[in-house]
Amino acid sequence: MADTATNPVSLKRAGNFLARQGILVAFVIFMVGFALANDRFLDMDNVLGVIRSSTILGVMALGVTFVVISGNLDLSVGSMMSFATIVVLDLHDKIGPELAIPLMFVMTMSLGALIGFLVGYLKLNSLIVTLGMLSAIHGLTLTYSGGKNIDIADKEGTWFSILGQGSALGIPIPILIFLGLAALLSILLTKMPFGRKVYAVGGNGTAATFSGIRRARTVFCCYLISSFCVATAGLIQASRSMGSQNTVGQGMELEVLAAIILGGASLMGGSGTVFKTVIGVLILGFIQNGLLLIGLEFYVQYIVTWIIIILAVWLDIAAKRGRLWSPIA
Amino acid sequence: MKLYKALAITAAGSLFIGVAQAETYKIGITQNNVGVDSYQTTYEQAFIEAAEANPDVEVVVMDAGGDVARQIQQMEDLIQQNVDAIIIWPTNGQAVIPAVRKAAQEDIPVIVTNSNIAEEGFDFVASFSGPDNITQGRRSAEIMCEKFTEMGIEDEAQIVQITGQPGYTTAIERAQGFEERLPEVCPEVTLMETQPGDWNREKSQTVMEAFLVKYDDIDGVYAGDDNMGVGALNAARAAGRDGIIFVGATNFAVGYEAMERGEYWGSIYQSPVDDAEAALQTAIDVLNGEDVPFLNYFDTPKITQDNMDEFSKPVF
Repeated sequence: MADTATNPVSLKRAGNFLARQGILVAFVIFMVGFALANDRFLDMDNVLGVIRSSTILGVMALGVTFVVISGNLDLSVGSMMSFATIVVLDLHDKIGPELAIPLMFVMTMSLGALIGFLVGYLKLNSLIVTLGMLSAIHGLTLTYSGGKNIDIADKEGTWFSILGQGSALGIPIPILIFLGLAALLSILLTKMPFGRKVYAVGGNGTAATFSGIRRARTVFCCYLISSFCVATAGLIQASRSMGSQNTVGQGMELEVLAAIILGGASLMGGSGTVFKTVIGVLILGFIQNGLLLIGLEFYVQYIVTWIIIILAVWLDIAAKRGRLWSPIA
Repeated sequence: MKLYKALAITAAGSLFIGVAQAETYKIGITQNNVGVDSYQTTYEQAFIEAAEANPDVEVVVMDAGGDVARQIQQMEDLIQQNVDAIIIWPTNGQAVIPAVRKAAQEDIPVIVTNSNIAEEGFDFVASFSGPDNITQGRRSAEIMCEKFTEMGIEDEAQIVQITGQPGYTTAIERAQGFEERLPEVCPEVTLMETQPGDWNREKSQTVMEAFLVKYDDIDGVYAGDDNMGVGALNAARAAGRDGIIFVGATNFAVGYEAMERGEYWGSIYQSPVDDAEAALQTAIDVLNGEDVPFLNYFDTPKITQDNMDEFSKPVF
């Protein structure tokens, strides 16, 4: 008796859960698939390795999630990450890591503040502003470095490498930074008034304004958070390789957006969560690694990656509407 | 776009070098993407210095910023200016051919530098000046084989390859040379897998991490350039896998330093200064009516831990 009574309820609950977390289901399916194809895929070393190399993309995606939820775009994060990396590496040898890191954060976040000012207060289209900043910041980086690769001269004699290469309790530091930041930003987005404002501004900007939300300031803060995350990603990148080309972040803006959209955030704003972005980032990372481990011809990998992304998005939508196919959207 | 053009014109205007003299050759150059990496930056400096040192040439220096359309525009500008010869570092081996043909039709000899254009365009080119990437790949295979023989593992060694960006001539030719030569000198060495590192240190590190998970026994890594080679080295170091022989190409400062530390075995020494000087010299030789070979390669010698003191550390 009790069984028949609880089953439909728990089934419904499970159904609701699936509807909300379709992307998580897709993620699990891919993981199982890759694990069956290669027995080393789920080795602790490999899993940690993939998460660690996803952290740079991941940290950037955390910040851009705020921008996307607020209804804007940020295409400048790739070249901004190159900027942060080059600046912190260059300053490291000039003024030491203790001063180089905060100074780099100030410089990178001023760029974020500039974008935030243009998009938030001057109400310029974020696509135009950040697309322009994409090449402007690239130019800034090249001007700063003179086009040269920047390398830390004494790679052994500095604690700077810990941030990208060290580990604590058996977990690589970049992962700890990524998870810590994800937790912090998730709390900010879901438990704090600021987070509600971000959703409100992205969902319906006009209604938000009439509700007394200072829209410009909210947008400005989103870009500031985004540039903070970019600076953190640049720091991890710099510490990981201890030297860099000027183009290290090139093209990452699109990967970041892919991860966020894969996570289910809407480019129209108003929806998305930090957790889903993290899943989106992990899916991209594990696809890349899984295909490498299977040893697929690399030209084919581009195509397969696309197919998997489409599959994931489809599974997510199908879970939301409770069926695989629907005649009415 | 307009701004870029204005900049290019001002830059070109300010870079007229040399004295106006009846016998001087006016040579124009349109480069691929100065400033995007240290090689190209050093190349441009060396080219300008070589031109300044030569009283018989006057150069117009332009840079396409990686943009094909801009490079074609620059070719047309140079034709308009009626230069005596044009040197082009193609942004794209295919798309620049019509512009190269136009110059050839105006009887302006075109010298291609660093990376060649596609074969259909060869009829319109006076000479190609640059490194021989196939030979570079072959030499890297020899370096690796010699080291394995010295270690006594030439019968069993297993290696992986990390190539440059898929579709790039340099990447394809180096891999081709390497894959051709390796079985000739070391028939027992197995090349287990090849994946691209896109000329990118971080990408190469990620690829190498996957290789390390996948293969318990890796004796050697061939990377299409030192930047990627060092990325692979970083991955091996982080995983605590010692004793892997790393061989690259285009010796970068980071590769040279890793060789000094004894962690990286060898590479191919390719100097942007030699590259730039060879291009200018080829143009002058063509204008002097000398017999210049169509493929005018400059030498790119092997560099290993054994002979590295004969070479100065690369500036890029």
